[in-house]
Amino acid sequence: MGLIQRVLEEEGIATVGISVERKFTEEVRPPRTMFLRWPYGHAVGEPGNVEQQRFIVKKALELLETMQTPGEIVAPPYRWRRVDYLDDSKT
Amino acid sequence: MKKILNRLKNRFLTKLLVWFPALKEKAVQNVQSIAFDTIPWKKVEKPLSESRLALITTAGVHLKTQEPFDMVDSSGDPSFREIPSDSGIEDLMITHDYFDHKDADTDINIVYPSERLRELVEEGKIGSLSSSFYGFMGHITDHHVTTLLEETGPDVARRLKKDEVDVAFVAPG
Repeated sequence: MGLIQRVLEEEGIATVGISVERKFTEEVRPPRTMFLRWPYGHAVGEPGNVEQQRFIVKKALELLETMQTPGEIVAPPYRWRRVDYLDDSKT
Repeated sequence: MKKILNRLKNRFLTKLLVWFPALKEKAVQNVQSIAFDTIPWKKVEKPLSESRLALITTAGVHLKTQEPFDMVDSSGDPSFREIPSDSGIEDLMITHDYFDHKDADTDINIVYPSERLRELVEEGKIGSLSSSFYGFMGHITDHHVTTLLEETGPDVARRLKKDEVDVAFVAPG
């Protein structure tokens, strides 16, 4: 995953990735990462939780515009299930 | 027969990791990925609302009509599947024995959020989507890492550039 980010970035395409495995991300060192301490198979959240999925996708994509330090790993404290996410799409 | 047993074993292990999340960190402690000293960096020059974005998944997602990823080779499968970005989620499936995709099988957006991305385009948050998204299978090791870094990865990069893609969102299984 981080490996693919590295390849694309070297070819001139800026990338952001979600990671659920911090150790690998620290070793592979992709340029921009949002790390979530969530189980495999749920990188964007719970099935059917559209607001949560939208929230996570937006938060990850925002890093493309805001991150200035190569290799940074942000680790927001979001929980992966049974959480009502505020849809801030209109804000 | 041995191959079938091995696949069943892999699938059972992925279930264990969902039931007992603390095992996840133990499980990877001794797994060595490749370590790099440098960090590639392409500066983002446009706001997201003017950018063309591609989704790349390593969750083994592909069209039902495409050849599944190779689950027999223990080093993984470094190939990729080109998926039209407007494909309906009912046309997609996951082939990947190394994570539990029971939930993702009911809503693939939790690993491949194509519907969410289309909504963000409609809202004007994202400029546009690439014509194709790309599906890889994670869990690539040994000699297949080289194939990914030197062949299939750069191949996807070329296709994205041809499609004038600015940014990519990479999501795992």
